[in-house]
Amino acid sequence: MKAHAAEGRLALQRCTACGNIQYPPRELCGVCLADTLEWRVTDDEPGEVLASTVLHHSHEPAFNGKLPIHVGLIRLDAGPTAIGFLTEACSAGTRVRVTAKLDYRGRAVLSAALAISKEVS
Amino acid sequence: MNDYGDVVVCAPVTVPYVRRSDKGAAWWLGSALRRLLEASGLAKRQVDGLCLSSFTLAPDGPAPFVQYVGLSPRFLEFLPTGGACGIMALRRAARAVQCGDADVVACIAGDTNGAESFHDLVAQFSSFSRDCVWPYGAGGPNESFALLTEHAMRRTGATRADFGKLCVAQRQWAQRNPLALLRGELTLETYLAARPIAVPLHLLDCVMPCAGADGYLVMRRVHAEVLGLRYVRILATIERHNAFPDDPIQWRGGWAMDADALWQRASIGPDEIDLVETYDDYPVISMLQFEDLGFCAKDAGADFIRRNEFGPGGNFPHNTGGGQLSCGQAGAAGGFLGLVEAVRQLTGAAEGRGVDGARHALIGGFGMINYDRGICTAAAVLAA
Repeated sequence: MKAHAAEGRLALQRCTACGNIQYPPRELCGVCLADTLEWRVTDDEPGEVLASTVLHHSHEPAFNGKLPIHVGLIRLDAGPTAIGFLTEACSAGTRVRVTAKLDYRGRAVLSAALAISKEVS
Repeated sequence: MNDYGDVVVCAPVTVPYVRRSDKGAAWWLGSALRRLLEASGLAKRQVDGLCLSSFTLAPDGPAPFVQYVGLSPRFLEFLPTGGACGIMALRRAARAVQCGDADVVACIAGDTNGAESFHDLVAQFSSFSRDCVWPYGAGGPNESFALLTEHAMRRTGATRADFGKLCVAQRQWAQRNPLALLRGELTLETYLAARPIAVPLHLLDCVMPCAGADGYLVMRRVHAEVLGLRYVRILATIERHNAFPDDPIQWRGGWAMDADALWQRASIGPDEIDLVETYDDYPVISMLQFEDLGFCAKDAGADFIRRNEFGPGGNFPHNTGGGQLSCGQAGAAGGFLGLVEAVRQLTGAAEGRGVDGARHALIGGFGMINYDRGICTAAAVLAA
C-alpha cells in the first residue's frame, strides 16, 4: 500500500478467493481467511462521510502546529470504512473522493475531498 | 449451566489512584493482592486462582507476575481486554470456582501511569490503530470516540448538555467518594465551557488517565461466610466481542446482541435494578449502554437522560462512585471500577454514598477501541 501511496495511488486489498475488499490491510482475508490477496489500485475511491471530528489536541508534537485537524470516518463505495483526513469540513452524508499519499514519516495516509471539487477541476 | 450456583463475589479493594506514578504495574497489582489478603484474612497460599489485567506490565505477563508476588495458583487467566476485563474476569473466576478448578480466585486489574506511559500505550495500542488511526493527528482514543459521539448525537438528538448532565451527576457522587481523583464541584456551565479536544468532545468528556488498581475475590458462599465476608451473588453475565461487524459505524454495542439473554438468566428486568454502573470512558458509551441493555428503547438515549436523575437521591443511581470520568482511568482497572463499586454498594460498604435498599446492580463493560470501534462488551447483574 505504501509503494502505491508513494505514487499517489490508493491500494485496497482484494481477496482473490472470495472477492472481499478490505481495509485496514491484513496478511489474510478477514472474511474467508485465505491469504491470496491482491492490490486493487485506483487513483481515488468514492465514498461517503459517516462521521467527522475536529481535533484540537494531539499526542504528537508534529501535529501541534497543524491543529485544528479535520478527520472523518468514510465509507468507501468499495465496501470498507476508513479513517482519513478531511481536506475541508465535510459533515456526515457528504460525498467525497479518497486519495492516498505518504505522510511526513513515510506512512500511507488517506485524505478525503469533496467529490464535486474533483469534477469541477 | 447458566446459573452460578453458590459462587459469590467479595472483598472489593482499590489501591488509591494517583495521577502519575513512577512505580511499575507490578507494584500496583501486587498492592491490590495485598489488600485482598488483608480484607479477607486469607493467606497467600489459599489464593489458588488469579485473573490478571494490565496494559503496562510488559515485558512481564501473568507467569512472571505470579513469581514476582510469590503465588502458586492452579488457575491463571490474563485478560488484556480493557474495559470489559472486570466482568470477563468475574465470569472465568466464577466458573473456575463452580467447577472446582480453584477455591479462591483473586481478580486484579491495574496500571501505572508514568510520564510517557499513556502516549506509548495509545501510540502502539494495536496494529490497526497504529497504522490507520494514529497517523491522522494522533488524537488517541479521544479521536475515535469523537467520531462515535458525533454520530450518536445525530442519531439520538443528544446534545452536549445531555452528556454534561451525566458528568455533573457523577461528580456529585465523586464528592462522596474519597477514592475519586476529581472531586471539585462541577456545574453544567463549567462542563459546557471546557476547551475542545476532538469536537464534539471537550475536556470533561474525556477520561483522565491515571495509575491505580482494583480487585475482588471470587469463592463459594460458605467460604465467604467462614471468613466473615459480606458478599454478592452473580445473577447473570454476558460478553461479546466484535459484534455487528457489518455496521459501518458503531451505533450499537454487543450488549444489544445479548441483553435479552442477560435479563432472562437474571430472572429480573431492568426495572428491578437499583443502581447501574456503566463503562464511562466517554459519556456517549453510557448512553449506548442505557439503550442496548434495555433501560430505554434504541435511539431514545437522549430522551432517557432528560427524563431521569442520575446523581445522589436521583431515581436512577448511576456510576455511584463517580465513574471513570471523576475517579480517573487507571488503565485496565477502568474495567473493574464499576464492578468493585457495585459490590461495595450491595454489601453496604459504599460509605457516605450508599443507595438505600439497593439489592440489584447492573454493571457494563466496554473495551478496546481498535480502529473504528470498541470490540469487547460485557455486562453483569449482581444481587445482594
